[in-house]
Parts: sequence; structure tokens; C-alpha cells
Amino acid sequence: MERQSLARKIALHAAALLLAAVILAPLVWLFVMSISPPADLAAKPLRWWPEAVDFSRYRLLLSTVENSAGAAFLAALRNSLLVAGTATIAAVLLAIPAGWAVSRTPSIGWSLGLIIGTYMLPPVALAVPLYMALAHFGLLNNVFSLALVYLTILAPFTTWLMKSGFDTIPRDIEAAAMMDGAGLFATLRIVTLPLAMPVVATSALFAFLLAWDEFFYALLFTADQRAKTLTVAIADLAGGRVSDYGLIATAGVLAALPPVLVGLFMQRALISGLTNGGVKG
Amino acid sequence: MSALTLERIAKNYGEVETLKGIDIALESGEFLVLLGSSGCGKSTLLNIIAGLAEPTSGDVRIGDRSVVGVHPKDRDVAMVFQSYALYPNLTVARNIGFGLEMRHVPAAEREKAVREAAALLQIENLLDRKPAQLSGGQRQRVAIGRALVRRPKIFLFDEPLSNLDAKLRMEMRSELKRLHQMLKTTVVYVTHDQIEAMTLATRIAVMRNGVIEQLDRPEAIYNRPATLYVATFVGAPPMNLLSATTTPEGLSIAGLETPLALRHGLEAGRPVTLGIRPEALGLAARETALAFHAELAELTGPELVVTGTVGGQKLVASLPPASGVSPGDRATLFAAPEAFHLFDPATGLRLNRDR
Repeated sequence: MERQSLARKIALHAAALLLAAVILAPLVWLFVMSISPPADLAAKPLRWWPEAVDFSRYRLLLSTVENSAGAAFLAALRNSLLVAGTATIAAVLLAIPAGWAVSRTPSIGWSLGLIIGTYMLPPVALAVPLYMALAHFGLLNNVFSLALVYLTILAPFTTWLMKSGFDTIPRDIEAAAMMDGAGLFATLRIVTLPLAMPVVATSALFAFLLAWDEFFYALLFTADQRAKTLTVAIADLAGGRVSDYGLIATAGVLAALPPVLVGLFMQRALISGLTNGGVKG
Repeated sequence: MSALTLERIAKNYGEVETLKGIDIALESGEFLVLLGSSGCGKSTLLNIIAGLAEPTSGDVRIGDRSVVGVHPKDRDVAMVFQSYALYPNLTVARNIGFGLEMRHVPAAEREKAVREAAALLQIENLLDRKPAQLSGGQRQRVAIGRALVRRPKIFLFDEPLSNLDAKLRMEMRSELKRLHQMLKTTVVYVTHDQIEAMTLATRIAVMRNGVIEQLDRPEAIYNRPATLYVATFVGAPPMNLLSATTTPEGLSIAGLETPLALRHGLEAGRPVTLGIRPEALGLAARETALAFHAELAELTGPELVVTGTVGGQKLVASLPPASGVSPGDRATLFAAPEAFHLFDPATGLRLNRDR
């Protein structure tokens, strides 16, 4: 709508600002906590802005001194990146052919439905069998076995996303490529996949976030620095007798950075509307 | 030798019989239009020729080779889709040359062929663009170019003009006609637009419910429709249909007292459906005259379309604007004897003994 009254405009902007404030306030508070001296965090009444800015916790967590909190944190960061990255790549690589197959062959759609059905099971129900299986194969406390477990969560989700993405790509385009002499793989590589890139990026991003934030399985299946992920490491920070809330907040800020970077990096690929122009309108 | 032969093609989707035994033999250079409303099976038939669908039974031969079970790319056919189906991520030049690229034609040769096709379609200046930067008509030309460049034995068109606006559609129609006259390729063209069918085709197959109602040259489809369906589907405004009964001297039209003198050669007392095209009617009193009561007059420009009744039955006549018929007028309409089409009301089949 082009024509809007001034009051309407003000109301719209106010509503948008309010929404942004509600969403951003916890993040801002997280950051403020991470740079407040411990005394300020315990002060009554609460200080909203620290007397002196204190970056010492960042130094602590990013230090590489052996057996320090920093070493544990950095190891967890590395593990998280490995687990989430591996699981995401595997999930997307699986989802592309699987999603395409389901999208182009509606008669096998039930199989995807079945897999999505397993999604409905609470993780607790699967925890014990998964633990026993991993223990049996000696795969506990291992980043790649954790990635494998995550794959069982991510793959149905990414396949489902990819399927809906492929659904929006007209089959005529693939039929045309087929008549032009392109084989199945040439069609997928040259025609279909480039058109599906926005969906691939979206699935990758969401899969990465899911894996990055996962806590339950990570807590159960990892034991030490060789495999513990960030979520577990942060929980460890809170687990001692004295909890340094500022330190937890700092770890939270640092843990939020990689997904934000991935999001920024993927932004270009996420721009959709790439299929514009191939078909009518 | 026929360029394309379809023999007893049938296609079932589960219980639904989409095609019920289609027979067509097409000579090289013919322009066949499959005409029918949506759901008549014309697109399915085209997909079967293309190889995008397989017939449940029957045989498809291109040249003298049966192509049932042959992959679309090996049939030597090219198709232009209703949605254009261009590759949005590739340039126009690559879109057009894609078929050659996939067949490993050397780059230099490919570029030459693309340039030739583009020149023919007057889109040389667009070769570096992406489909999104083109107008509807330009996209259509690219889609045609993509088919053209491969020099296939048969061109298949699936409602290629239905996404264009009226003016562009007329331009592209002439363009297609020009291309066909120049290249003399065999074409199978699917449309629901009877004007496209009449203007482009060398032969038209009017389809309905999975069968061909009539397969003939356009003038025969128009002048001697084989069934009631063909009679009403082709022509605008559609053919008038009046219920009548045969008499020894002619026809007694329901609601009219004076019978119409017409030689029909049928036994007397038989119920028939009388078809008269609106444009076959004129204003004058002759032997085959109809007393007409005008109710509505619409001037389209070249003609005055008058809607009214004959003996209580609806009738539309396309008259010259100078006739000046206005609503409420009573007039006497006539038509030449050969303009009267007689159909069996039960079967819809044509009854006229054609000369």
C-alpha cells in the first residue's frame, strides 16, 4: 500500500521497534553481563551498566594455557564446529538426492512421511538404545559418532526442506533438459541444483543451528575434552560450586558468534527468487 | 513415408482412460494441431510423442522407427513448453545451445548454430542476457530457438502462446507460420484456441474425452464438421443449434409454423439438430428463410452480432453493421443451403450427405 497516514506509519515503526527490542534485549543483557565485573553482577539493586568494562573473561576463555578453563572452552568450540559441520554437510549431501527423489516421485512420498514420523519420538526414548549401540561399537565420546547421531535428526529435516524446495522448481524445466539430451546427473548439476541453491543454503543453515544448539545427546554421549561440545562445556561452567554468571555469559556470546558468521556468509545464497524468468510471469 | 505415425494409442491413469485409441499418420512437413478443451488428452498425446509419457498400448513411429520405450533425447524431437521452461541460471545463448552442448557439438559449430537460430528469431541482441531479463515474447522466442537449433525431425508445441497477451499472441502466431513455411518441418501443436488451430494447421485433430472427433484440413473442419462437438468448438461466435424435425420437403423448426424448404435426403419425421454458423446468416427473404426476433445487438467493429430467437430458440447472427438491426426488430434471415448442417441429436454425428 503506497498511501499511509502518518499515524499509521508511526504505529508501524513503533511496533517494529518494540519487537526488535523484545528480541534483542536478552542478547544485549548477555553481552553486558559478560563485560561486567563480578561485584556489579551481585550488586543490589542491579547495575544495568558496569562501573568499569571488564574483558578479562574473554581473555580467560580464549587462553590456550593447558588445563585452563580456556583450553576446555576452545576444545569444546573445536568439537562443536567439527560435529555441527560434519553433520550438516552429510545431512545436505543426503537430502539433495533424497529430497529430489521424493519431490519427483510422489508415490514414494510415504517413505519421507515415515521418517518424519520418527521425528515425533522424544529424544529420551532413543537415548538408551543409541547409548547401547554406540557403546557396543566403541563409539562413545567421539565427535564423528556424535555427528552420526545428529545426522539422524538433521537428515529428515533437511530432506523435507529440500523436497519442498524442489517442488517449487517446475518439472517442465527438467523435462526440457531431458529432451535436450541431458542425463539425470547433468540435469541435476546444471539445471536443478543451481535453482535449488537458496533451499540448500537454508537447509544447511538450519541444520547447522540445530546441531550447534543440541545439548541432550551431547551431554549423554561425550565425556571429556576429546568430544564435549560447547553446550556441554557451558553447562560445565555452571556446574561447579561457585557459578560465575559473567563467565557463562561470555561463553554464550562466544558460542553465538559462529552461527552468526555462518548466517552472514549464507545471506547471499539465501536470497531466493532465482527461478524467476525460467517459466512464465 | 509418414513422418509420424500413431497407432491405436491408449493411455490409462489407473481407472481413468485418458486416451482411447488414437490413430494419426502425419506426412513430412505437415502442421498438425491437436485442438480440444482442457482434459481432452491432447497434452498427454503430445507427451507420448515426446517420450515424456509412455502409452499404455499402441505404437508411436517416427519415420519408420518405433520409438515406444526410447528415451526422449534419442527420438529426434524438440518441444516448446507452455511455461517456456527456460533454464533461468543460464544465458540465452547457452539456453539455445544447451541441446547441442549436451550432444557434445564443438563450441565453434554450436555458436554458429545458436547465432543462426537467434538471427531467424531476431533475438541476436539478447544472447548474453538471462531469461529473467526478457519479456514474455522474448522468452517464447528463446524457447523456440532452443528447439530450432537442434534441427529435429518433429517439433512439438504445447500451448506455446497461451501465456502471451492478445497482441503478442497474434504476432507470434504469424511468426510461427512464417517459420513453418520457411523450414518446412513437421509440427505437432497443442492448443485450445480454435483461431490458432485454424490459422496454423495444415490439418486439425479435434479431440474430446480421449478420442479424435475429426481429423481434417481446417476448411473441412469449419465447413463440414463431423460432429456437434466439432461444430460448436470451432468458430466464434459458436454455431447456432436449433432442434428440428425433417419433413418431406425440408425441415420443421420447433416453434416455427412455416417449414424450411431444404433438400436433405433423410426420411421424414426424424428429429435432427440444425446447425447454422452466425456468419452464414444474411438479411433477405429467400427460400430458406427464418423469422427472427432480435433481442440484443453488439457491434464488434467489422460486424454486428445480433442475438435473438427463432421460434423461441436462441439464435446468433453476425450481420454487416450497415444492416442496422436493433433490439426488438423483427427480421427475416437466410442462409445458403450448403450452410445448413444437420446432426443426429442422439449421437451428435453429421447427417448431411456431403457433396
